[in-house]
Amino acid sequence: MSDLTLTGIRKSYGKTDVLHGIDLAIRSGEFVSLLGASGCGKTTLLRIVAGLESVSAGAVAIGGEEVTHLPPEKRDIAMMFQSYALLPHLSVAENVRFPLRMRGHGSRADQAQRVKTALEVVRLDTMADRLPRQLSGGQQQRVALARAIVSNPRVLLLDEPLSNLDARLREEMQVELIEIHRRLRLTTLFVTHDQDEALSLSDRVVLMNGGRIEQEGAPRALYDRPETAFASSFLGAANLIPVTIAAGEAVFADGQRLALGQGAAAGPATLAMRQEDIELSRVGGALRAKVVTRVYLGSRHRYILDLAGQRISVLAANSLTLEPGDDATLSISAGRTRILPA
Amino acid sequence: MTDRRETWLLLAPGLLLLALGFLLPIARMLALSVDGPDGFTLSAFARFFQDGYYPSILWRTVWLASIITAICAVIGFPMAYIMARCNPTLRLWLVMLVILPLMTSVVIRTFGWMVLLSRSGLVSRTIRDMGFGGRSFQLMQTETAIVIGMVQVLLPFMVLSLMGVIGRLDPRLEEAARTMGCTFLGTMRSVVLPLAVPGLVAGSLLVFTLAASSFVTPSLLGGARLEVLAGAVYKNVTQTLDWNFAAAQATILFAGIALILVPYLRLGGNRHG
Amino acid sequence: MVKAVPLWLRAAAVVFLLLLATFLLAPLVVVVGVSVSESQFVVFPPQGFTLRWYENALSSQAYVDAFKLSGLLAILVTLSATIIGGAAAIGISRFRKPGGALETVFLSPLVLPSIIFAIGLLMLWSAVFGPTSFLTLWIAHTVVAIPYVVRTTLAVLAESDPFLEEAARTMGANRLQRLWFVTLPQCRPGLVAGAFFAFNISFDEAVLSLFLRTPRLTTLPVHIYGQLEFSPDPTVAAVSTLMILITIALMLVLDRTLGLTRFASA
Repeated sequence: MSDLTLTGIRKSYGKTDVLHGIDLAIRSGEFVSLLGASGCGKTTLLRIVAGLESVSAGAVAIGGEEVTHLPPEKRDIAMMFQSYALLPHLSVAENVRFPLRMRGHGSRADQAQRVKTALEVVRLDTMADRLPRQLSGGQQQRVALARAIVSNPRVLLLDEPLSNLDARLREEMQVELIEIHRRLRLTTLFVTHDQDEALSLSDRVVLMNGGRIEQEGAPRALYDRPETAFASSFLGAANLIPVTIAAGEAVFADGQRLALGQGAAAGPATLAMRQEDIELSRVGGALRAKVVTRVYLGSRHRYILDLAGQRISVLAANSLTLEPGDDATLSISAGRTRILPA
Repeated sequence: MTDRRETWLLLAPGLLLLALGFLLPIARMLALSVDGPDGFTLSAFARFFQDGYYPSILWRTVWLASIITAICAVIGFPMAYIMARCNPTLRLWLVMLVILPLMTSVVIRTFGWMVLLSRSGLVSRTIRDMGFGGRSFQLMQTETAIVIGMVQVLLPFMVLSLMGVIGRLDPRLEEAARTMGCTFLGTMRSVVLPLAVPGLVAGSLLVFTLAASSFVTPSLLGGARLEVLAGAVYKNVTQTLDWNFAAAQATILFAGIALILVPYLRLGGNRHG
Repeated sequence: MVKAVPLWLRAAAVVFLLLLATFLLAPLVVVVGVSVSESQFVVFPPQGFTLRWYENALSSQAYVDAFKLSGLLAILVTLSATIIGGAAAIGISRFRKPGGALETVFLSPLVLPSIIFAIGLLMLWSAVFGPTSFLTLWIAHTVVAIPYVVRTTLAVLAESDPFLEEAARTMGANRLQRLWFVTLPQCRPGLVAGAFFAFNISFDEAVLSLFLRTPRLTTLPVHIYGQLEFSPDPTVAAVSTLMILITIALMLVLDRTLGLTRFASA
C-alpha cells in the first residue's frame, strides 16, 4: 500500500510549464529522493505534496485519501526546510512541540514525552531549553529534524536539508538520517541536487529533468544502468562519446573499434564509460589515446585524454605516471559500457 | 477566507485612516484654495502673486531652505561618514547625539536658541565682545538666527539618511582605492561621495521640504518681520481667519514640495530619517 | 574601522565632532540651565541653583492640564498607531516586493510636511463636524505616528526567515494560529520600537496641535509655544527640561531593550 500517490501532476506559472505530468507512488516506509539540477521542478513537486503550491492538473493522495485541494495544515505531513525555519522566539523544546500543539495531539504531558523522545532521537535532549540562535548550524538542523518527526507524520518531506552544512557535518548527518530512517520507518520524500546524498540515503531515486521524471529506480540500478545520456552524465559524470554501431562493435570517429557486451541497433549512438571503470596503461589496452593533462588528486591521478578527438576523463593509480603528450592505451570490460541513443 | 482577503483586512484600518485623516484633508485644502463666494476662482492665487509682499515671502522661504539644506549636507556628510566607519561604542554615542535633539520637541530646541541668540544671550554677547557688530547687535530676528536654529533641528535627518547609505558601502572599496594609489581624501571624493549620492539626495530633499514648510522655529527666531510661507499660512488660519487665502498659500507650498518629491518617490527611495 | 587615515585628519575629525556635539546639544543644555537658575529672567549661564521653577510649573493649573492632555493623547496614539501600523506592516510584508506602492502610501505622512494636512484636517473637520476636538488630535497624531511603526516593523520582518509561515502551515497551524504564534512574535521588536517612537512623536508634536488647538485643547508643546511667543520665563524652561528628561528616559529604555543603532537608520 502506498502512503503517497501522485497522479498526472502538472504545474504551470502563466505560460511556463514547470511540471509535465508526474506520476509517482511511494510505499509505506520507503525513502525516495527527488534528484535533479536546480530548476528541474523537484522543489515545486515537494511543495505540491506539502500543499504549499497548488496543482494545475493531477491529484495528490496521502494515505489513500485524496488531499489535492487540502491546505498544508490539514495534511498529515511534516516538512523540513532548507533554512530550517525554526521559530526564533521559541526554545528548542517549544519548537519541537509546536506541531503537536497546533494539531492538538495528546495532553500536555503526552506532548512533553514525545518532544523528549524526538530530541533523544537527534541527540539534543540536553539542549531543550536553549533558543535556536544559541545553537550551531548542525544543531539547528537536528532541531528541525526532531520537529519534523515528532508528530509521526504519514509523509516526511525534506527540502535539501543538508545543503547548508559544511562537508564533514553533511556526511555525519547522512549517516544519522539513514539510522533514524531505519529506526522510525517514516515514509520520506527527500529533495536534493547532490547525487551522493541521493544514492547513499534512498531506497529509490527519482531523477528529474526539465519537469519530467528522467529515470527512477534503486540507487545501484540507476547508477549502473542509466538509460539516457542525461542520466549517465548526471550520475557519476560519465564520459559520453559519439560512435557508430556496426556489427556489434562501436566504431569511433578515427576508426578505432571497441567490442560491446550488449546487442545494439546499428547506426549512430552514444557510448558511455565511467571514469573509474576505464583502465589506463602505457601499452596493451583495446583503445589508443593521447594524454592531455594530468591532475594529482592525492589518492590517485585524474588524466584528461584525447580519444578519437574527444576529451575523456580517467582515474588511475599513482604508480602509473604518464606525461602530457604521451601515448596511452585504454581498456574497459564489456559489461561496464552503456550504449545510449545518440 | 483567502490569503489575499486576510492581507487586505490587515491593511484596511490603516488605509481607511489615511484616506479620512490624510488624503481627504489634503483634497479639502486643495478644493478650498480655488473656492470663492461664486464657485471656482483663482482670485486667492492672483492676490498672492500680485501683492509684492507674498512673492518676497516665497522667495525668502526658498532661499532659506536652500541655505539650510546646503549647510546640513556639508556638515552631515563627514559626520555620517565618521558614524558609519567608527567603532560601535563611539557610534552609539554619536547616534544618541543625533537622535536626542531629533526626539526633543522643536518648541524646546527653539527655546534654547532664543536664549542663546537674544541680545543678552551668550552667542550675541560673545560676538559683541569680540568687537563685531554694534552695541545693540543681536542675532535674534535675523535670517542667520533662523538658519542656525533650523540647521540644528534638521541636521539629524541628513545625517541619518546619509549614514544609512554609507553604512551599506563595502569598506573594501575604499581599501581597494587606497591600494590603487588614492589618498584618503581622494578616496572620499572619487569613491565614497559618488556612492553616497542617493543618501545625499534623499537627505537633501527631506531637509529642504521640512525647512520650507516649518514655521515654529522661523517665527520664534525670525520674528514677525521675517515671515516665511508656512508662517503666513499659520497666521491666516489662526489670526486673520482668511481660510481661502491660507489654503491657496498651502497649495503653493504643497505644489512646490510635490514638484521635487514626486520624482524621488518614483525612484522608490523612501529610506531616510 | 578605516585604517591609514592621516593624523591631521584624525585630529580634525575629533575637533569637528566636539564642535558638532556642542552645536547639537547647546539648546538643550541651555534650557536645562535656565530651569535651575535663580534669576527670574531667562539667562544663561545660570545664576545660582534653585528648583523653584519646577514647583511653579507643578502648581500651575494650565501646565498640569496641558501635561495631562499630552500624556493621555500620547498613550492613546501609541496604542492606535501600533495596532493599525503593525497590522498594515504585516499586510505590506505579504506582498513580497519591498518598496512597493503600498509602502510609499503608508510612509507618505512622514515625507509630506505635516503643515499641509494639518490645515486640510482643520478645514475638513470644521466643514463636517464643527469645532475640533480631542478625537481630531488623536486622528491627526495617529496619522503621523503610523509611518514610524510601519517602518520599524517592516525592518524587523525583512530580517526574519520568510519560510516561517509556510513551516507553520506544514505543522498544522491555521490562519489565526500563524498570526498569533508566528508572525506577531516576529514583529515584536519592531512594534515595541515603533510604539516608543509613536509616543514620543505625539508627546512632542507641535504643528498639528497648533493648527487644531482650541482654548480647551492645548497640549504641552502648544502651551510652551504660547509662552515663548509672549513671555519666556524660567518656568517654561523647567517644563521643557521635564520633557527632555522623558525623551532621554524613552531613548535609554529603547536602547537597553532593542538597541538604538538598529532602528536609527532603519
